[in-house]
Amino acid sequence: MSTNATALSPSASPSSTPPSPVPSLTSVFVRLKLSLLKNGLRQSGGRTAAYIASIVLGVLFAAAMVLSSVLLRGSADADTIAVLLTGVVALSWAVMPLFVPTGDETLDPSRLVMLPLRPRPLVRALLVASLVGIGPVLTLCLAFGAAVSVAHGAAGTVVAVLAVPLVTVVCVALSRAVVAANIRLLTSRKGRDLALLSGLVIAVGMQLVNFGAQRLGQAGGLGPLEPAAAVVGWLPPAAAIGAVDAASTGDYAVAAARLLLTAATLVALVYWWQRSLVKLMVEPDGSTIGASSDKGVREKSGGTGLLGRMLPVGRTGATMERTLRYIWRDPKTKAAWVTSLAMGLIVPLFNAFQGTGSIYWACFASGMLGVQMYNQFGQDTSAFWMVAQTISTTADAYAELRARALALLSVTLPFTALVTVATAAVLGDWSALPEALGLSFGLLGALLGSGAVASAVFPYSIPQDSGYKNVVPGQGGLAWMSILGGMIGSMLLCAPLIGATVYLHLSDQQSLLWIVLPAGVVYGALLVQAGLKLAAPRTARRLPEILTAVSKG
Amino acid sequence: MPDQAFDGVFEKAGATAGTTPGSGAVPAVRVEGLWKRFGQQIAVNGIDLVLPAGKFIGLVGPNGAGKTTTLSMITGLLRPDQGRILVAGHDVWADPESVAQVKARIGILPEGLRLFERLSGRELLAYSGRLRGLPGAEVDKRASQLLDVLDLTGSQNKLVVDYSTGMRKKIGLAAALLHNPEVLFLDEPFEGVDPVSAQTIRGVLERYTQSGATVVFSSHVMELVESLCDWVAVMAAGRIRAQGTLAEVRGDRPSLQAAFLELVGASGRETAGESLDWLGGGAGSAGTSGASGSAGASGASGGTQR
Repeated sequence: MSTNATALSPSASPSSTPPSPVPSLTSVFVRLKLSLLKNGLRQSGGRTAAYIASIVLGVLFAAAMVLSSVLLRGSADADTIAVLLTGVVALSWAVMPLFVPTGDETLDPSRLVMLPLRPRPLVRALLVASLVGIGPVLTLCLAFGAAVSVAHGAAGTVVAVLAVPLVTVVCVALSRAVVAANIRLLTSRKGRDLALLSGLVIAVGMQLVNFGAQRLGQAGGLGPLEPAAAVVGWLPPAAAIGAVDAASTGDYAVAAARLLLTAATLVALVYWWQRSLVKLMVEPDGSTIGASSDKGVREKSGGTGLLGRMLPVGRTGATMERTLRYIWRDPKTKAAWVTSLAMGLIVPLFNAFQGTGSIYWACFASGMLGVQMYNQFGQDTSAFWMVAQTISTTADAYAELRARALALLSVTLPFTALVTVATAAVLGDWSALPEALGLSFGLLGALLGSGAVASAVFPYSIPQDSGYKNVVPGQGGLAWMSILGGMIGSMLLCAPLIGATVYLHLSDQQSLLWIVLPAGVVYGALLVQAGLKLAAPRTARRLPEILTAVSKG
Repeated sequence: MPDQAFDGVFEKAGATAGTTPGSGAVPAVRVEGLWKRFGQQIAVNGIDLVLPAGKFIGLVGPNGAGKTTTLSMITGLLRPDQGRILVAGHDVWADPESVAQVKARIGILPEGLRLFERLSGRELLAYSGRLRGLPGAEVDKRASQLLDVLDLTGSQNKLVVDYSTGMRKKIGLAAALLHNPEVLFLDEPFEGVDPVSAQTIRGVLERYTQSGATVVFSSHVMELVESLCDWVAVMAAGRIRAQGTLAEVRGDRPSLQAAFLELVGASGRETAGESLDWLGGGAGSAGTSGASGSAGASGASGGTQR
């Protein structure tokens, strides 16, 4: 507090001369924001295209939203949709900055800490500058659409005119306040790890939304959402849209209360934001605090824990232990695994629950998990040099790859069996369990085998800084070719197994279908073995090339 | 056997040590006609290098001289376009048997490559030692001692990703020393390291060379090289400009810094004193160019003297 309170404003330094025309802080920040936006356009080819595409998409999206709200006007569900939509928009404003690292430099108070700025004008300037941008404009369009869909009559219009800008400003202030309060978390390593896991939240969340939407479609109508809308209608900023609705139906007291509630929230948010900012500017950087505070947390015995004692000795055990630890500790690997595990479980089971499933959906689990064998060395990043240093013969490379395959199998094998059994249980289709298990294991083996070969032949870097980019520019084709080719190849490799199953079904020899289980196990094991044998000499020969390929991220 | 016997190598009669004064043994590193090109840029331009065994060797050069590229090729991490490299008499890029001989005998601390940072310091050492085929109990014993000597025992259960630069260099050094290599290659081991950690690293390295092992390290801090090394190779623009004992490379110049600047052709360049004549001098007015110019010049030349 003290540094900011005692700081001089820029115009105060030449005391004798009349104050020169120093532009106001707000206009400086708005101009800074505009030039940042403009510079976004001046970047190299691909990014400019992406930037323009995002603007065009945004405009189209906004236009579509406004149009659909106009169409929605007068419909029975208009109020429910408008209020809930505003709630979702506000929620995403609050949550998104925690997951998506924004390129907005005006957001970062550490850049402003050396400037002589007072908190109150600073917050005002930052708030106004925050309103410049694609996001706020989109939000304004959405709020406008929501208000249009529910506003009727003069009172409704008057409240809507107040509510639309209020919603936008509250959303922006909410987002900024949340970021300022959490900046310590966001700049620490734990926070960055958390951000990397966001892909997972989105992937699983989308599945749940998808199934939720299907449920609503089956229920026919938005009836189940009405109680939710009644609650959200009192939560700012959706309360402002609720106020428009209330005013339109003549409920003026409720409208005034909701509008006042939203305005009060805005004041509270700005106050909270200002307090966090002031605190941030006089307290030390969060990155060092985060690193030192968890010093005493990890006080278990390192080296060889329980895991280490259970695994074989030597290279196999060491590599397996490291691979398994990385599944848990490395945010990127963890996100990939948890997504695969969740999707591998959700897709077959939900399909089964909805009665549309078949037990063969269980193969989806082994498909999702087997892909984890692809680009093994890329998952190491440039730390692969430590592995490369200890590989000189084909036998070394074989041991390394086999250990990685074993580590994967120790998770995927029981999980695949579990998903298949669970799917069979939900469907009550126990007779098909052996063949489904056999096919799953066969596919898993094919993916692990081809994944080992692809790891050796098509390694590529996985960027570590972003939760969304899984390939560095220039290696995208390689990554797609590797995974897509591997998937198709694995399907082809499994063709004999699938063919045998189909044949036994068609020739009415159901009593012999149990054979698919042992056949799948043996065939899968053979494929893994063959893949490792093929991959080992290629890995041993290409160590420097693999290291170069995986060190770009 | 996991433990390398240093003495065996030194006892071999070296027939190839023509340019290594004071040593009749097989050189630690022998490089012949080494080339590496990245696109249009030639990073390493046909260098020949003989580094004697049992010495503390400094590879010095300005940024972009090709030091890291050279060390990467010598340690088997980057494939050369052309040339031959022998480490302790074994070809780095020949048949797997010879490569295995090299890899068992060297330790590396690379610059700009990651470690397995999601392991704790102790786990990293345990992993690295077991990958090298050392017995588990032996790895754990050596790891404890290394952690202790390098002052990392207090942080041994912390993830390496949370380590400071100095701690990272120290844990990297521990991993490189764990299998008791004959030749240790360190790329910028003191870059970004605080004086306390630097002194610790230095102590360990000095003890290690006293036992007869070879350390090759790259740096652009001449004072450090001058005080640590007894053999120096100077690199600039992908070529070796000079190699030999510290005295030979320094010649009659006052310091290695002076010799280095002359060798890389940078000694004639004076500071841009006149163009910054407004800088310094307090009042900030433009009229005091004489005083501020001399202040700038003396400040810059102070760096060359230590």
